[in-house]
Amino acid sequence: MVDIFRASTYIDSMTEATDLAERAGDRDPRIGLRAVAALRRLLEQLEAVQVRSARNQGWSWQEIAAELGVSRQAVHKKYGRQ
Amino acid sequence: MFERFTKDARAVVVGAVGHCERSGGEWVEEAHLLLALLDREGGRAAFALASLGLEGRRDAVERSLAEARRCGGLTRADADALAGLGIDLTEIVSRVEEAHGEGALTPGRTAGGVRRPGRRLFTRGAKDLLSQSLRLALAHGDRHIGDEHLLLALTARPGVPSEVLADHGVTYAAVERLLWGQAGTKAG
Repeated sequence: MVDIFRASTYIDSMTEATDLAERAGDRDPRIGLRAVAALRRLLEQLEAVQVRSARNQGWSWQEIAAELGVSRQAVHKKYGRQ
Repeated sequence: MFERFTKDARAVVVGAVGHCERSGGEWVEEAHLLLALLDREGGRAAFALASLGLEGRRDAVERSLAEARRCGGLTRADADALAGLGIDLTEIVSRVEEAHGEGALTPGRTAGGVRRPGRRLFTRGAKDLLSQSLRLALAHGDRHIGDEHLLLALTARPGVPSEVLADHGVTYAAVERLLWGQAGTKAG
């Protein structure tokens, strides 16, 4: 009884691990590219949140740009109009 | 291009602008076009949506759209892709909301929440949707762009609206089969 139970748990976790490995190491470029695109979309929203928050706290465009590692013009062009 | 739009299709575009204004948004998005399509009574798109079972499920659609907006406008497919990298989108959303308030990741917010009055602009996605509806009309040999072409274009494009529609059984193939009697024309 116990052994059978153990065996099936073992198989379950093996299946899970195999699934995970397949997903992580998948050679299908679509999966990787889709993840990058999703990450980029998420990044855009996160950046907007942080820039908005900094502006609300009185940060200058120069200060924000320095933290983001981009030029002041780039930040201002992207968010300045708002 | 708009001169090719039928009265129904124009009503959808105008309706989308209205949804955008009422939601306080600055940009007309594909989701606004979906909501405007759901408003329609009569017409080919309304017929398709009702036939495929979307009638009376507007609340569910609106909830799904709102949920996706809260997650930065990312689709479930996006969330799955991120999970594949070990990134938990839900966790990120909840942390950002903890620090910056509920709905902080919602796209299209303006600084300080002040939005300017005046004309609404269409996002690139919404513009692409309109031109895709033209291509789809041509591909089906239709001379005018009706609201059914807008619906078909919505289902053909990756993104939140098509994902939400597909959750309710409204897919490209289903719409095409219903309205044009066959599946087979490639999504333009």
